Amino acid sequence: MRCVRVVIAEDSVLLREGLVRLLADAGIETVGVAGDGPGLVRAVAEHEPDLAIVDVRMPPSFTDEGLRAALQVRRDRPKLPILVLSQYVEERYAADLLGDGAQGVGYLLKERVSEVTEFIDAVRRIAAGGTVIDPEVIGQLLSRRRTGDRLEALTPREREVLALMAEGRSNAAIARTLVVSEGAVEKHISNILLKLDLPPTPDDHRRVMAVLAYLGAR
Amino acid sequence: MSELNVMAVPGGSGRIVTASWKPLAMVRSSLNWRAALYLGSALAFGLAWFIVLAVGLTLSAALVIIWVGLPMLVIMMLLWRGGAMLERRLLKVALGVAVPEPYRPAPPSAGVLGRLRTMATDPATWKDLLYLALRFPIGLVEFVVSAAVWSATAAFVFLPLIVAVAGEAVVNLGVVVYTADDPISALPVSVVGVGLLLVALYVTRGMAVLHALYGMLLLGPSRGQAERLRLQARAEQLRASRARGVDAAEAERRRIERDLHDGAQQRLLAVAMDIGRARAKLTSDPEAARALIEQAHEGTKAAIAELRDLARGIYPAILTDRGLDAAISGLAARAPVPVLVEVELPERPPAAVESIAYFIVAESLTNIAKYARATQASVRVTREGRWVVVEVTDNGVGGATAVPGGGLAGLADRAATIDGILTIDSPVGGPTVIRADLPCSW
Repeated sequence: MRCVRVVIAEDSVLLREGLVRLLADAGIETVGVAGDGPGLVRAVAEHEPDLAIVDVRMPPSFTDEGLRAALQVRRDRPKLPILVLSQYVEERYAADLLGDGAQGVGYLLKERVSEVTEFIDAVRRIAAGGTVIDPEVIGQLLSRRRTGDRLEALTPREREVLALMAEGRSNAAIARTLVVSEGAVEKHISNILLKLDLPPTPDDHRRVMAVLAYLGAR
Repeated sequence: MSELNVMAVPGGSGRIVTASWKPLAMVRSSLNWRAALYLGSALAFGLAWFIVLAVGLTLSAALVIIWVGLPMLVIMMLLWRGGAMLERRLLKVALGVAVPEPYRPAPPSAGVLGRLRTMATDPATWKDLLYLALRFPIGLVEFVVSAAVWSATAAFVFLPLIVAVAGEAVVNLGVVVYTADDPISALPVSVVGVGLLLVALYVTRGMAVLHALYGMLLLGPSRGQAERLRLQARAEQLRASRARGVDAAEAERRRIERDLHDGAQQRLLAVAMDIGRARAKLTSDPEAARALIEQAHEGTKAAIAELRDLARGIYPAILTDRGLDAAISGLAARAPVPVLVEVELPERPPAAVESIAYFIVAESLTNIAKYARATQASVRVTREGRWVVVEVTDNGVGGATAVPGGGLAGLADRAATIDGILTIDSPVGGPTVIRADLPCSW
């Protein structure tokens, strides 16, 4: 497996060093670090990494500098995969990130880094161009009730599949998680798309887009 | 100098009453001369008002039959109210008496008619009328007395001049007849005249005081109204104090959130990462796993210490359990300079007082450590009546101020929520004394 090179933008030195070592354990090399938005832009320009991991909340105002810097990096290099870490669920961040429809986007809660295996898996998926959305973000989106909500029409199993789909998992991964066959997963998905009146598409990423768009993350 | 020391109830006092009654002070103070002038002109004003009111009111009343009379009455009412306001101004300028306006406020939604109705039904408006109407007879008396007294004084004092011009003067007081042929022999009369001057001043002063009382009675608020004004002022003060208290509480909560986030939360996340990595390495690299677990252990201990400090910053347990003496001793022990602690409280004050006192000491000691460059500090907490007095002194470089949004300003706000007062005495060069007076009931 080719070595993945990342740039980390995180103002807390404690966490930054922890991430570096955590990634190093998995054979992922950190080629650059930054402590604020402009630093991130510089580091990406200088090192041209395969992935940028960015904390939303950074100096000077500690609101959403990281997110804005990430979006700027995306504008300059649309194909650069980015993983954004956030202290709490903010749907708007997810919407901003997914807004340009490009691939290789991740939005996770910071605490996920403690689940080492899953975190590394997410990093690799995003670097490969996939999409990863934190289950808690999906959960919040799903729990919203709106008029004309067709989610009611889904069976509980279909809702589970929907949630996993929205997190950006592949059919195989969903099948593994729910302990069913891939064929069953495919059948559920086509039912879901039908019920929610979404166009059937084999492309994982476009599927996530469609589902998230439906759920109103945009 | 000047201005107004007033109690706005009938029979209260203004400067004309409270200023010194000693002869020399009276001569020197412009107050009495102004009063004399005011009373001298009393007749003119009184007459003017009398004429205006008499003519205006009778005319308006007569013309009510044709509708013209009604607006005329309204104009008269506005006129005499305006006149009353002018009178209050004059009283303030001439006699140093501030009479608060006793008018009822119109309901906020009232239109022009509503406001006029409020004015017409306000007893204060009619008291104004009475004041102005009586101004004439009262002014007459005042004028006559003033004129008599002052002209006599002038005559006596300037007798030498009169003799020099007229050649001869005879002072006939009935009992005593004194003939003055030349200016020199008129001098004794001048001396008597100076004595008369003092009499004149006292008489004027006396009349002015009476006039002031008359003014306050008719132009000022009744006892009930005065009470209402006082309560309104108090309510406003409390509202402001509460707003500051709410702001202070909010700022405090934000600070706690920030401390929790930046401190304990980050640390615990780092610990979780270490443990996660250790788990991943348990079988493949046990040595590395052991090192990680040790690191995680240290991290949890650091997190516990940070949380403990944070809790102490919110409300220290020792203060609840053992009171100010023990808590402040703890603060002093952790301070970088030697701190002398004297706490003399006969009994434990209310919890709010203890809390505010504690945080004032804590913040002051922190500031001393950070900025004062001091070598010695002392904390004194004593009870003075119903007040708890906290004083933190240091021999540092001084120059401490309460910057808005800063720690000391925050303490002042906190003290203000229980009507306490924070005083900062910190000249550049030192020493600095931070003093808080905290009431035990509020």
